[in-house]
Amino acid sequence: MTERILEHPVLGSLEAGKTVTFTFNGLEYEGREGEPIAAALLAAGVRTLRHHEESGKPRGIYCNIGHCFECRVEVDGIQGVRACLTPVRDGMAVRESGVLPSPVRDWRKNNA
Amino acid sequence: MRDLIIIGSGPAGLTAAITAAEHGLDVLVLDEYHKPGGRLLGQLYEEPGGTWWNGIEESRKLAERAGVLGLDIRLGKSVHNIEQVNSSWLVHADCETFEAKSLLLATGAAEAPVAIPGWTLPGVMSVGAAQVMTNVHRVKPGKRGVIIGVNVLSSAIAMELKIADIEVAAIALPKTNQVNGSASNPTEVMNALLHVSHMAPSLFVKMGSKLMKNDFMKKMGITFYPKNGVRMWDIPVMLRKAVIRIEGTDQVEGVTLATVTADGKVIPGTEEVIGCDFVCIAGGLYPLAELAALTGCPFYHINELGGFVPLHSQDMRTPLDGLYVAGNITGIEGAKVAMSQGKTAALSIAKDLGQDIADTSLSEAVRQISSTRTDAHIQFHPEVDAGRRKLQEYWDLHDAEKRKVMV
Amino acid sequence: MTDRDMIVCRCEEVTYGELTDTAEKFGCTSRELKLRTRAGMGYCGGRTCRSLVDAIALAATERDVTQITLKYQPPVRPVHFGDLGVITND
Ligand SMILES: Cc1cc2nc3c(=O)[nH]c(=O)nc-3n(C[C@H](O)[C@H](O)[C@H](O)COP(=O)(O)OP(=O)(O)OC[C@H]3O[C@@H](n4cnc5c(N)ncnc54)[C@H](O)[C@@H]3O)c2cc1C
Ligand code: FES
Repeated sequence: MTERILEHPVLGSLEAGKTVTFTFNGLEYEGREGEPIAAALLAAGVRTLRHHEESGKPRGIYCNIGHCFECRVEVDGIQGVRACLTPVRDGMAVRESGVLPSPVRDWRKNNA
Repeated sequence: MRDLIIIGSGPAGLTAAITAAEHGLDVLVLDEYHKPGGRLLGQLYEEPGGTWWNGIEESRKLAERAGVLGLDIRLGKSVHNIEQVNSSWLVHADCETFEAKSLLLATGAAEAPVAIPGWTLPGVMSVGAAQVMTNVHRVKPGKRGVIIGVNVLSSAIAMELKIADIEVAAIALPKTNQVNGSASNPTEVMNALLHVSHMAPSLFVKMGSKLMKNDFMKKMGITFYPKNGVRMWDIPVMLRKAVIRIEGTDQVEGVTLATVTADGKVIPGTEEVIGCDFVCIAGGLYPLAELAALTGCPFYHINELGGFVPLHSQDMRTPLDGLYVAGNITGIEGAKVAMSQGKTAALSIAKDLGQDIADTSLSEAVRQISSTRTDAHIQFHPEVDAGRRKLQEYWDLHDAEKRKVMV
Repeated sequence: MTDRDMIVCRCEEVTYGELTDTAEKFGCTSRELKLRTRAGMGYCGGRTCRSLVDAIALAATERDVTQITLKYQPPVRPVHFGDLGVITND
């Protein structure tokens, strides 16, 4: 479990903000309005955002600024959304897209 | 049609937008992030004299000025392609296309990794990711972290984590392999650190830089470097220990460290596991120039600037008509340099669009870039000036070629 | 986990062993190494692993510092086909 930094010696105290409720993989979470999905989930102790489409290995944020796409999730039915730069909204449904069948790699493993 | 589209609302892009608007240009700024400020947002350090460089505050000031000028800044817009059609630029962002007479690329930098077995586990993130989580989102990346990679950025961010009361168990080197290069070589890392001694991350480095002007002393320095590191802001900086593996099943649980020789070879039998719940990977920064690469703009690899950079002049023009660059896309430097480059780019653009810009104000802006560079508190590469000179030589060569073709 | 099993390209899960073997076998340039292994060809467009893959290729070949055009293909961010205007609804 991680925590929010409410008081910061240089940046001051965290401004009071509106709380929003959203779901991740069907479970309900709270976030601060305007913060990215990844930050809200990490504050709630959730690090794993998806499992690799082929190997099924767990993945979380890596770059946190939109470059690596490791944080991609499905938001309200749209796939490939970066959790690190998409603000949470009230009622948002976030889920991981899951492991895909991968004919090319399986073929390569057996034939190449 | 708009006069100018700027891609990136970091310090370079925002400063350019403000300057361009002040000169009467019709400007659109696009950025995929949800806040203006780019990587300036996460920055936080004490400057000589005791004032704090607070990136959030600096970004807010820029955004406020942009607001007063009524600038059109669209956030959450990822640009995936740009093309020059006839004499205008088309910018494709998500499902929209925008058009302008000129285009400024201010897309900044990206982080290069070092690779360590286990680095795909949740809880392993780039050091910049931890910076943004901590300073911008105000969420702790974890309770106790280990930073892999000893460089200017990782030492700055280690201190920022410390200020936010997050424990950093160690800053250590990555293990040696074909991809980690000089970042895993204690002697080379020591060398690089001593060059930035004006930053004085610790008294040790400050004294060290005086003592170790010659190679023999440097070699001695690294040989006798204490195995458990030197403490900087109470964080052990380990130049003689490398992380050889990140441990954990579903997420980070710890790292395995081993003592290494002066050139980075693991000494068998010295492995130890230390517990942590997050790991930061710090492999340095490189210019994010992918959009420029789509245009056919010439590129040069210049180590001192952090990698491949698009060819450009001191006044931020590229060889392509109507295409300009500013900020870290031109080489890795601090935010203040990016701002002065943004201002210069905007003046060049205004001038090329027929606005009345005195040659003296443009040359003054170019001079300001150099003086900002000289005074910079943070310098990512000690030889950045040499890098800039190399690029200028390439530009002059290119210019001479172009003139030959024209006669 | 051994070094050989270490993932270098996170998107396509290409390992260090796969990359070094391929580089050794074909003595290839960075571009060829990518095409042969798919490293750097995934979702992120190589933004994360590019420097690592380059380092492996550079062990076998020389860097061309005046690489006149850098090789990048649009789109530099993944796009939905519909957004590219490829699919029309009539
Ligand atoms: C992770 C990280 C941490 C850093 N920390 C420090 C530090 O502590 N101190 C320091 O002095 N310097 C730091 N730097 C260096 C930093 O790059 C400069 O200080 C400065 O912010 C550069 O300004 P810029 O305007 O060139 O780019 P940036 O500030 O990086 O802004 C570029 C903007 O362009 C946007 N963008 C990029 N590509 C696209 C696209 N295709 N479509 C839409 N938008 C796009 C990005 O979202 C970003 O907002 C850091 C850099 C990084 C990458
Ligand atoms: S964590 Fe890299 S894109 Fe979101």
